Parts: sequence; C-alpha cells; structure tokens
Amino acid sequence: MQKRVVFRNTWLPYILVAPQILVTLVFFFWPSWQALESSFYIEDAFGFSREWVGLRNYTELFADPGYLKSFRTTLIFGLCVTFLAMSISLALAVAANRVLRAATVYRTFLIWPYAVAPALAGVIWYFLMNPSLGIVSYWLRALGYDWNHYVNGEQALGMVIVAAAWKQISYNFLFFLAGLQSIPKSLVEAAAIDRAGPGRRFWTIVFPLLSPTTFFLLVVNLVYAFFDTFSLIHATTEGGPADATSILVFRVYNTGFIGQDYGSSAAQSVVLMALVVAMTFVQFRYIDRRVNY
Amino acid sequence: MAQVEIRNLGKVYPGKVRAVSGASADIADGEFIVLVGPSGCGKSTILRMIAGLEEVSEGDLFIGGDRVNDLEPGERDIAMVFQNYALYPHMTVRRNMEYGLRNEGLPKDQIAARIAEAARTLRLEEYLDRKPRQLSGGQRQRVAMGRAIVREPKAFLFDEPLSNLDAKLRTQLRAELRALHVRLGATFIYVTHDQVEAMSLADRIIVMNAGQIEQIGAPLELYQKPATRFVAEFIGTPAMNFVEARPVTAGLKIDLPEGASLPGPCAMVDQLAAPAHIGFRPEDLVLEPQDGAAGLRLDLQVMFAEQLGADTVIHARLAGQSDPVTIRVESAQNPAPGATMTAYAPNAALHVFDAATGQRL
Repeated sequence: MQKRVVFRNTWLPYILVAPQILVTLVFFFWPSWQALESSFYIEDAFGFSREWVGLRNYTELFADPGYLKSFRTTLIFGLCVTFLAMSISLALAVAANRVLRAATVYRTFLIWPYAVAPALAGVIWYFLMNPSLGIVSYWLRALGYDWNHYVNGEQALGMVIVAAAWKQISYNFLFFLAGLQSIPKSLVEAAAIDRAGPGRRFWTIVFPLLSPTTFFLLVVNLVYAFFDTFSLIHATTEGGPADATSILVFRVYNTGFIGQDYGSSAAQSVVLMALVVAMTFVQFRYIDRRVNY
Repeated sequence: MAQVEIRNLGKVYPGKVRAVSGASADIADGEFIVLVGPSGCGKSTILRMIAGLEEVSEGDLFIGGDRVNDLEPGERDIAMVFQNYALYPHMTVRRNMEYGLRNEGLPKDQIAARIAEAARTLRLEEYLDRKPRQLSGGQRQRVAMGRAIVREPKAFLFDEPLSNLDAKLRTQLRAELRALHVRLGATFIYVTHDQVEAMSLADRIIVMNAGQIEQIGAPLELYQKPATRFVAEFIGTPAMNFVEARPVTAGLKIDLPEGASLPGPCAMVDQLAAPAHIGFRPEDLVLEPQDGAAGLRLDLQVMFAEQLGADTVIHARLAGQSDPVTIRVESAQNPAPGATMTAYAPNAALHVFDAATGQRL
C-alpha cells in the first residue's frame, strides 16, 4: 500500500514541484517547441529572415533518398548494436554469475568501459582500427583482410557498431548480472533434477525469468544506439564514408550545423522526437505485461 | 523404488570447511527416513549430496545398488521437493509437472495420464492452468509434490518442505505426506529440524549433530533408548532433564547436586567410575515415592507452571544447579511459584550418559 500524504495548504505541493517543472519547461519543453516551430519554416543561414512553408520540410525530407538511406542505416546500426551489446553482456553475466572466487574484482573490471566517455571510446576504437597505424587493422591485414574504413562504408559501419556496442556492454552486464542473481538457485537445481541439461536449463528456466530485464535493456539499448551515439560517430567517421555511418541523429547535426538548413534539421529532430516518444510508450505500456510471472 | 545406501559420506567445502564426516546408513526400499538435527548439522548437505546438487567429497553413494557419486542430478532418477517449493514461476501448474517428463521424452498421452493421476491424488485438478503465484502456500507445496510424483522416481527427497507453512497447515500436510507414502510405497528421504515432524513421519530417524550421525533408529527407540546425551536432549518435548553425578571414590559414594539424592540402591548410578549425566524425562517424574523403585529424589522449588490444557508443565529449581527441572503432571496441578515440592524419577526412567563422551552407559 502506498502512503498518501495529504497537504492542508493547496499551494504547498505546487511550490514543492515547481523547481522540477521549471527545469523541465525551460530545458525540455521550450527547445522542443522551438524545434517543432522551426520545422515549419525555412530560415536563412544567419537567422535574419524566415518563411512559413508548412509541411514542406517534412515532405522534402521523406522524398530525399539520402534521408531514407539514413533511416535504413540507423535501423541496421541500432539493431546490430543492441543485439551485439546484449548477447555479449548476457554471456559475460552468465559467466560472472558462476565465478565464486574474486567475483567482485571480475565484475569491477567488466564495469570499467561504462566510465569511458563515448567520444573517447570512439577514439580508442579509431586508433585500434586505423588503417595506417591501428593494431587491429594490422592483424586483419596479416590475416589477408584488406581493412580500410576510410574507403569501405560497410567496414566503417561495422567499426562504429562494435565501438558503440563495446561501450554499452558494461551497462547491460550489470543489469543482467543483477537479474541472474535474483533467480533463486533452487529453480535451476529443480530443473537439473528434472533432467534438463545446462543448455535447456538456461533457455527454459533462466532466460524466460530474465525477460523483464531483457525487455528493459532492449528498449534502453535501442534508445542508446539511436540517440546517444552521436559523439562516437562524430569523433570517428563523421558519418562517412559517403554517408555510410550517417545515422539519423548525426544527420540532424550535419544538416543543421554544417549544412545550415535549420528547417530541415528541426524537422528531423521532430521525427526523432516522435520515435523516442513511441519507444517510451512501448516501454511503459508493455514492460509490466511482458513480465512472465 | 530403490534402496539408498551411504557409506562413509563426507563433505568438505572449499576453505576446508567440513560439513559432514563419516556418515553411513542403509535406507531400505520403501522406507520413510527422516534426517533430523539442529541447523548446520549437515542434514541438508547429505540430502543435497544424494540429489547430486553437491559433490561428494568422501565416501560412496548408492541408489538401487548403483554407485552414483559422479552422476548428474538428472541421471540419478530421484525427485526433490524444496523448502521454497522451487516452482517455475513462468509456467502453469500443468507445465511445472510436465517439465521433467518432457525432458525425459515421454509420449504425450502418458504425460497427460500421469498428470491427471497426480492432480487427482493431490486435489489439484482445478488449479492445473494457474500460475504458481495464484496459489496459496499449501497448494504450491502440493504442486511441488505433484511434480515429484509424476516422475515416478526411485527415491523422493524432501528438504524441509513444510517449514514455510503455518502450524495448522503443517499438521494437515504432514498427514497427507504420510498417506502419500503409504499409497506410493516409495523410498522417502526427508530433512527437517523439527523433531515432532520427524517422530510423526518417520519409519526410522537419523539424528545428526555437528556433521556426524548420532543415532539411527525407529522413533520410539530413540525416545526410549537414546544412544547419546545429544539425542536424549533433542528428542522429546519438553526436553529431558539432567543432573550431574560425580563419583567421589569409585563405586563408593556418588556426589549429586544439592537437592538431589538417591534414597535407595540404583545399580546404574552406584557403579559409576567417572563423572556422568543422569537424565530423566519430564513425563517420567512422579510426585509420590514408588515402592521398590526408589530412583532419584529431587527436592525442588517451583518457579512457575505452564497450564497447557491436557497437562501442566512445572518449571522448578534444584538448589545445587542452575539448569531448571521440568515436570509434566496432570492438568489439575497448579503449584504456586515459590512452593517447595518433591519429585521422584524411578530407576527404570533414568538414562545415564558419560560426561566426557556423551555416550549412553
């Protein structure tokens, strides 16, 4: 039961929540409103004049093959990052859950990458993979694989996927480990007595019981890949080569600050906003229902 | 159905923590055996070793004549009921019971038949499509039993299955368990810390203390002829009373605490050569001296009396020792605190244990 506090003064609760509301209004609603507003205008690069164009920014956007390609890139990027980050971290968490000795040390090491700033993570991978001085590209070349992400768009996309996933593994790992530890040991033991082998125990008992964690992480990882990877891409490929790694959020920046097309940039932001609202809605709506028990 | 044999079983955890040592027992086919002892005595460890959930560090383990030390839990053909039920929360009752059978690869019609049979036995028919969280504690425990029954295993293992239930339900399920054992005729190995549960369920009881088996025997055998002081104290409520006896000169004079005396001859105590503990049960004490069975005379001061309805338990103090003496008398008695009284323990009711080793003399 939740305990409800009853205020005798009607204005006191409003004053108490006012700072939060103020911050939200100034730093979230106002810019969002501005973006929404300017997405209906075409503005000159210096901001001296603007012209109402209605939905033209949007219709042009969806008629632009570059933008649609960026949608596809974002989708591939997001799904790959999510899948990679989640599967690796789940494997690591399962392994860490079995470690008995020095478990805390092991866990601490696995959590470190999360403390690395996205831009820095990008630079680390940039150096590792650099065609002329990177150690990984050196190994790849020794294996007979021609690595050059400056030229090859697929390789560039692969690189930012790996870098973005690497950054997110620690976070997922923590949640998966906590999820695994909340599964009573006796359930797995009961399954072992019920003649389920280790693989079957994992897929029929452990994995279904992890589903709330998995679903939560799925949404968080998708949001991360779609929106929080800007600095990583900015620091490494800058969307290139030939827009191969230009995901939607990077394109917003590119259109607005490089191309100085504020109207289109704002329209793209609004599209992204709609996307994140939809994902949050899905999360809130289904996270409780997807819980299996 | 099978006999289970443990021979010199030992368990040492990493860090040289010893949980069990030198445990040997033969459990007959169809026997209801209860492992009982205080927490940390190693009883659950033995059960978990039989189940295959803990590795056997020393000794051998046989189920149905086969050495199973190195078999996986699933290969031992046993079923286990856990204290916290361990039902798969994301599966319905039916799915829970089917799980083991599906893993075995049993044909569907046979699975359905076994589930129907078990559900009827345990009165679970209307709950088959519910999830565990929609059931009460007692129902969950019955599902856990059902999951074990449908497997038709060689032996059933129970790890304190009733301790999460309230007292009334516990008594009810105890009776159901006993009936189930009669109906199935299977080998039951049951762990509990509750000696009343052990006494009421078991064909034979294994009493454990500090990682070792103290005594194996039928409930009445343990009650009437406890092999060690530990068993004597552990079995029976209220617990057995003890007074210390010290021979002053061997075989000539016995030193008892102040207030306790031996009015007549008592062979067991008179011949003591070393310090001993003389035990007597609260229900064996009488308030009138008995002809021809002089026994132990106790001059006591009443501390308080518990009136339990069917009988009354008097807690009294013996001048010469700090441990109180409890006496179980008929319910009409209700002595006032501070009153003095005399009680007698007949010779036949005395249990004498060596003070150093705890062994029965």
